[in-house]
Amino acid sequence: MSTDLKKYLPLTESTAYTLLALTEPLHGYGVMQKVESMSDGTVKIGPGTLYGAFTTLESEGLIIKVNEAERRKVYALTDKGRQVLKEHIRRSEIMVDNGQITKDW
Amino acid sequence: MSTTKHFHWFWAWDDEKEEAYLRNMALDGWHFQAVTFPGYYTFEEGDPRNDFYRLDFLSNYKDKENYLQLFEDAGWSHVGEYGSWQYFRKTAVEGEKLEIFTDNESKQKKYGRILLYLIIFLPIYITFLTRVNEASNTIYKIFTLVMFLFFLLYIYVMLMLIRRISQLKKKL
Repeated sequence: MSTDLKKYLPLTESTAYTLLALTEPLHGYGVMQKVESMSDGTVKIGPGTLYGAFTTLESEGLIIKVNEAERRKVYALTDKGRQVLKEHIRRSEIMVDNGQITKDW
Repeated sequence: MSTTKHFHWFWAWDDEKEEAYLRNMALDGWHFQAVTFPGYYTFEEGDPRNDFYRLDFLSNYKDKENYLQLFEDAGWSHVGEYGSWQYFRKTAVEGEKLEIFTDNESKQKKYGRILLYLIIFLPIYITFLTRVNEASNTIYKIFTLVMFLFFLLYIYVMLMLIRRISQLKKKL
């Protein structure tokens, strides 16, 4: 992974879930619903937070608008977005592995 | 249906107090209708409702339609606009707390947008104030003094916004 992409890491929980949801093209509300169900309700993304995330992710080239209908923009991951997400997940796995110890508490 | 008008001032870094004020009015049965300069609220009387009010500061007007659609899809009604401030309302079920910003980072960014907005206008003030020495007639002197007071207020607001952002950053 290039150092250029490392500057995005670690992602916030909302951003990581937003990218994860965008492995299939979705509009904003689709992302909100998918994130809530994927995370078993542990992560809810409000529209203010999501709008800001879309703006930043799009300007950084991690997601791209693939369609727009009825005032709803549909976004999808770019290659750059995929790489960042992959690295975030790899790092998270390391933490989760280390965290197994907490299961005995 | 009776309506009432109230003047309510709020500082940009303290907008959560304004949200709480509007919510408390709704819980008392007074529902936000409109906001007009310089902070007059019109409320309409009705049944008390468990409403949450949230404020956002919009800077990209070109994308406003998409922006408002996203809030609407998420169940938030766009009820008012005051300058760049956008007022949203959503009715909650008992015990639920509703937010439009669900993490600290995005809250910080909201105050960052206000700060940026203020910084953009800063050169105008500085241009006026650097011409103080050229002031010859009384009207111009008074005008410069007023500008200077506004400038101090401006700096104060910017510092308080920076303080608010750093408070949010400290949260674990």
